Amino acid sequence: MIGGGLAATMLPSMLSFATSNELLQKRYYGDKKLPAIGMGTWRTFNVGTDPKLLDARTEVVKTFFELGGGLIDSSPMYGSAPDVMGYALQQLGIPDNLFSAEKVWSPTGGSAREQVADLQARWNVEQFDLVQVHNLTDWREHLAALREMKAEGKIGHIGITTSHGRRHQEFEQIMANEDIDFVQLTYNIAQRGAENRLLPLAEEKRIAVIANRPFDGGSLIKGMKRRDEPLPEWAEAECGCTTWADFLLKFIVSHPAITCAIPATTKVEHLHENMHAGMSPMPSASTRQKMADYIETL
Amino acid sequence: MNTWSNYTLQDFIPFTADIYFRLLERMGETFWPLHLLTLALGVAAVWLALKNRARLASVLIALVWGFVGFAFFIQRYAELNWAGGYIGYFFLAQTILLLFIALIGVGLDSNPRKRPVTVIGVVIALVGLIGLPFIAPFTGGSWFQAEVFGIHADPTAITTLGLVLIMFRGWPLWLIAIIPALWLLVSGLTLLVLDATATIVLFTVLAIGLIGLLWKSVEYRSV
Repeated sequence: MIGGGLAATMLPSMLSFATSNELLQKRYYGDKKLPAIGMGTWRTFNVGTDPKLLDARTEVVKTFFELGGGLIDSSPMYGSAPDVMGYALQQLGIPDNLFSAEKVWSPTGGSAREQVADLQARWNVEQFDLVQVHNLTDWREHLAALREMKAEGKIGHIGITTSHGRRHQEFEQIMANEDIDFVQLTYNIAQRGAENRLLPLAEEKRIAVIANRPFDGGSLIKGMKRRDEPLPEWAEAECGCTTWADFLLKFIVSHPAITCAIPATTKVEHLHENMHAGMSPMPSASTRQKMADYIETL
Repeated sequence: MNTWSNYTLQDFIPFTADIYFRLLERMGETFWPLHLLTLALGVAAVWLALKNRARLASVLIALVWGFVGFAFFIQRYAELNWAGGYIGYFFLAQTILLLFIALIGVGLDSNPRKRPVTVIGVVIALVGLIGLPFIAPFTGGSWFQAEVFGIHADPTAITTLGLVLIMFRGWPLWLIAIIPALWLLVSGLTLLVLDATATIVLFTVLAIGLIGLLWKSVEYRSV
């Protein structure tokens, strides 16, 4: 497996910055690039038909794109989140830098094709950039259908997802044996199980990786704020961290195998913090290790 | 790895605190000043229960259970959580149970004012009618977020649990208590995830209510 040393040698070549004020872009699928900070919608975008919250989430989406964001991830399992994305995109228009990521799930949700068509209508987009199989549900049937749709030019890329460190063995087998472009898995400073096998395999197979639960469902960042835990003094000097969001997200997106992290938020001010984490400087491999060690001491 | 062992309670709550509190606020905004009528119905139900008019009191609270089941759960909460529609049907079932008991008139406590457990019932009912509405405004929320009997689910369930302790005995005591108690458990767990102040109130009321139910059951059996 690829250890810390090799990761350190790969780090500079995998990162690229247009200017110091722009978001870190990571390569995927050959030479395509994606901003390293995306946005998740689980829990935060499930606002139903409340006009006040629909407008508030539209403001979050607007700010996300103004700050250079790209990937927004949702799922039919996230309640009204796909409809809320549709509302926001209807208000804002479809930004050029939108990278729309959706999922298909259980058989009761219908076939993959029906689900994708339904979700496209809910998002108000003509085509998704990425459709993944949610939590490996019926993944053989779904992947076969998604592969056909990709070949027909009806979706951009395909992939699989898991979270909370579940079913990594099966996940690894699919990554090793199936032709997929993306995986989504849980990777954060407190849950680093993917470092052992999945992330090295993703690098080897050139599969893009989306890191979900970057704040461990919010508990990491809430815990720091609740305890009024100060950032270590070296964090700003070594990698420009001024907030815990910086610290936690920079740790994730500076891993060479990670393409994008997808923090979710309801507040524009938190979105600014999240997006700031995608700007240089990024931690080196040794600083990443120092960050992980520091969190373990807390 | 066991797939279920790494789920947390948070994974089953598909919305954030601001979304839930906004739902409460929308109920308040939409139905004001209906709150005054539902509160009056609640106060009247407690008064009727203490005056041995349990059948009429049951009819009054049956009405508000139906309203909350439809307007709160089926029309609004279900937009955020697929389970909301089913919970709404449970609230409608509670309406039917209350009307059924009112119709057949069994399990009514003929002399509630002589029983110590009635004090617990009255206190719980008053927490639902008077205490709950002040939690949101006193913890930084708006007045429209104030949870009111007959408009919102938690005070409706709390007040009903109190009334059950006053009005019923035998199997109807448990039959009418089970849905309010289950909702307080579900709501308490939801508020726990959302880090809401009312969490402790709901769990305390539920614990005291269950003690009251057991107390009254034992008392009834020993008579």
